[in-house]
Amino acid sequence: MDKSMLGDLDSLPEEDKIRMSSMIDQLQIRDSLRMYNSLVERCFSDCVDTFRRKSLDKQEETCVRRCAEKFLKHSMRVGMRFAELNQGAATQD
Amino acid sequence: MFTWVEDITMAAKNGSTTIEKEQIFGMAEQEMEYRVDLFNRLTKICFDKCIDKRYKESELNMGENSCIDRCVSKYWQVTNLIGQLLGSNRPPM
Repeated sequence: MDKSMLGDLDSLPEEDKIRMSSMIDQLQIRDSLRMYNSLVERCFSDCVDTFRRKSLDKQEETCVRRCAEKFLKHSMRVGMRFAELNQGAATQD
Repeated sequence: MFTWVEDITMAAKNGSTTIEKEQIFGMAEQEMEYRVDLFNRLTKICFDKCIDKRYKESELNMGENSCIDRCVSKYWQVTNLIGQLLGSNRPPM
């Protein structure tokens, strides 16, 4: 979900455009917060298994960093492919 | 990409009632939420199926990249197939 779909909105009357745009903003914020939580849960689950100490050790910290970076890169790639397929679907109609 | 843009533009031109416009905005919001949910599920599943959880590095390797592309493509096909089986290509409302 990104602002590129605002291109679709240009043909709308102004007040409707504002309303749609605000709806998209809210969805984006909600989705970003959700992503934050799920990324923390995922990287914690995958990287942290022992509780002998209160602090993360170097290995755990490195693991979490890689996990997060990897997921974000993955998410970007999925987004690209998803957008391509969406456009493909549109022209097939 | 979104069919409701035409609906709203038409409703605005015809001076449609507030109720009709509200319904269209409601449907638009539902469709947007559906797409966000679709994207999030797709991202999660393909990450689980394609990425090695040992996080040996923060980059995606070639195998992972190919897997992601194919996973997204197949997920998309399944989405369309199920959509057809359910009776239409649009998300069931």
